[in-house]
Amino acid sequence: MTVTTFASRANTIRVAGLAALIVVGATLPLWTTPYWIRIATGVALWAGLALSWNVIGGYAGYISFGHVAFFGIGSYTTAILMQPQYHWPFFATLPVAAVIATVFAATAGWPALRLTGAYFAIATWALAEAVRELTTVSDFTGGSGGLTLPVKSSSSFFYYVMLITVVLSYILCYFLLERSRFGYRVKAVRDNEAAARAQGIDATRVKIEAFMLSAAIPAVLGGINAYWITFINPNSVLNTIITDQMVVMVLVGGLGHAWGPAFGAAALYLINEQFLTSFGSSTSYIAMVGIIVMLVVLFLPDGVVSLWGRTRRTRLVRQLLGRAADEFHPRRTTDDASTTARKGASR
Amino acid sequence: MSSVLEVKELARSFGGISAVDGVTFSVDQAEIVGIIGPNGSGKSTLFNLLTGVHKADRGHVMLFGQDVTRKPSHKIARAGLSRTFQLPALFVNMSVRHNLWAAAVQGDWHGAPSMAEDVLELLDLADVAEALAGSLSGGQQRLLEMGRVLMQAPRIVLLDEVAAGVHPRLRQTILKAIRELRAKDTTFLIIEHDLELTQDICDRMIVMDAGKIVAEGTFDEITHDPQVMEAYLGVPVE
Repeated sequence: MTVTTFASRANTIRVAGLAALIVVGATLPLWTTPYWIRIATGVALWAGLALSWNVIGGYAGYISFGHVAFFGIGSYTTAILMQPQYHWPFFATLPVAAVIATVFAATAGWPALRLTGAYFAIATWALAEAVRELTTVSDFTGGSGGLTLPVKSSSSFFYYVMLITVVLSYILCYFLLERSRFGYRVKAVRDNEAAARAQGIDATRVKIEAFMLSAAIPAVLGGINAYWITFINPNSVLNTIITDQMVVMVLVGGLGHAWGPAFGAAALYLINEQFLTSFGSSTSYIAMVGIIVMLVVLFLPDGVVSLWGRTRRTRLVRQLLGRAADEFHPRRTTDDASTTARKGASR
Repeated sequence: MSSVLEVKELARSFGGISAVDGVTFSVDQAEIVGIIGPNGSGKSTLFNLLTGVHKADRGHVMLFGQDVTRKPSHKIARAGLSRTFQLPALFVNMSVRHNLWAAAVQGDWHGAPSMAEDVLELLDLADVAEALAGSLSGGQQRLLEMGRVLMQAPRIVLLDEVAAGVHPRLRQTILKAIRELRAKDTTFLIIEHDLELTQDICDRMIVMDAGKIVAEGTFDEITHDPQVMEAYLGVPVE
C-alpha cells in the first residue's frame, strides 16, 4: 500500500470523525438527559477557556496566572447589565463584556507584557487578585454577597449558546493563529523576540494584540456562564483555581496546539465530574491532576495530541519553563538574541 | 556613490566598560564592508547599536539619510536593514519552511510560499524544510538565518559570522547569494573571523579593537597595517 493511500485513508477517517462530532454536538439535546447536556455545556465552557489561555500561553509564550480576571470581568458585566435597574437583553451584554475585557487586557498588558517568564506570571496573578478584591469591596458588584441573575431554565439554550461561541472561537483562533501573518508574528515573538524584531515585527504590539484576543474569549464565556448558573460572587468567577484549570488543561491537551486544549479540557472535566460523583469532593481529583501534569511534562511535553501525529513542539514547554527559571538564575551567554529576549524584565 | 549608512561617534558602555567607543564610518550603496577584530573588540555590539537592540550612549546612525539612532529594532528593519545574529536566532518551534514565511510577514506575504521554496533550493535546505528549526545542525541554522535575510529583500544586510561552521560547499552558496544581492544594489556589512572569506568578498575592511576603529582600507592595506598586527598578535617583543 502506498504512502498516498495511507494519507488518503487518514484524511477520510479525520473527516468522518469530524462529521460525527458535528452531528453529535448539534443533536445532543434531542436524545440525551439534562444531566449530560449540563456536562456537555461544561465541557464546551472549559474547552473555550483553555483555548483562550492557549492563545497567550501556548502561541505567545507568556504564562498568565491571572486569566480568570477576564472570565470574572465578563461574568460581572453580564450580571450587572442584566440587573432589574438596567435590564439589558442577555445577548447585548456579551459584546460589552468582550470590549471591557480587551480594553482591560490592553491597558494591563502594556506594562505587564514588558515582563517575561515568572515575572509576567506573578504580575498577572496579582492583577487577578486585585480584580477579585475590588469586586469583593465594591457595591455595584454586590460585594462578597455577589449578584443574582434572572433565571432561564432551558439547558438546551445554554448548551447551544456555549457550543456555538466556543466553536466560533476555535475557528477564529485557528485562522488567526495558524493561517494568517498575525499568527506567524505571534509565534515568532514567542520563539525569539529579538529575532522577531529584526524581521520588522513590532513585538510589543503583537503581544498586546494576542493578550486582547485571549481576553475576549473568557469574557464572553464568563457572561454566558453567569446567566447559566444565575448567581455569581468573587469566589465563584474570580477564583485562582479557574486559571490553574486552564493551564493544566492546555498542558495536558497540547501547549500551542490548535485543538489540543479542547481535548485536555474535555478529558479533565469529565474526570473531575466522575470524581465528584464517586467521592463527593474534588480533593482526590486535584491530587490526580498533579500526577497527570508531572507525567505529561516528563513524557509527553507536546501534550496528549502528540500521540496522534509527529512531535512538533518538543522544545516549547521546556523553553517556557527554562525562560522562567532563567529569570531567577540567569545563565552566562554571548548569544545576543537570547540574552536580549531574557532581558525583557528590565525593558 | 552615495552613503546608505553613516555612523558618527557612536558609543556604548556596559558597566564601566566601553564596548563601542566613538566609532565613525560610512558605507556606500552596493558596497561590501568587512568588520574584523579580536574577540571582545565591539563588533557585535556595534551591530546591536546599528539595529536598535541596544541604545547608544552617544553618537548617531543615519540610514538612507534618516536618523535611526533612537529607533526601535522593528522600525529599523522595516526601513530595509536585515541582520543575522552571532549565535543563530531562529524560531525554534517552527519548521524551516515556516521560519522563512515568518521572515516575510512585513513584506510580500502572499508571495512568501513560492519565494520560500526558491530559497530552500538555493540554500540546500529543501530536504529539511519540514524539520523544526531547533533540530538543525549549526551550519544549517546559519543557512536558515541567511535564508530569512533573503526572504526580506533588504536594502542593507548585517551578517554576523554567517559562514562560521558552514560546510565549504554551502559557504560558496552563501557567497553566491551575497554577490547576487549586491548585484541588485544591496549593501553588506559583514563581521567575519575568516580572513580568506573577507578577502574574497569584501571591497573594504574595518578593523576594530577595544571598541575603536584602528584601521580601515582594502584587505592588502589593513594586513600591512602595524596597528592591525598589534591588535591581532599583540605588542612585538623587543
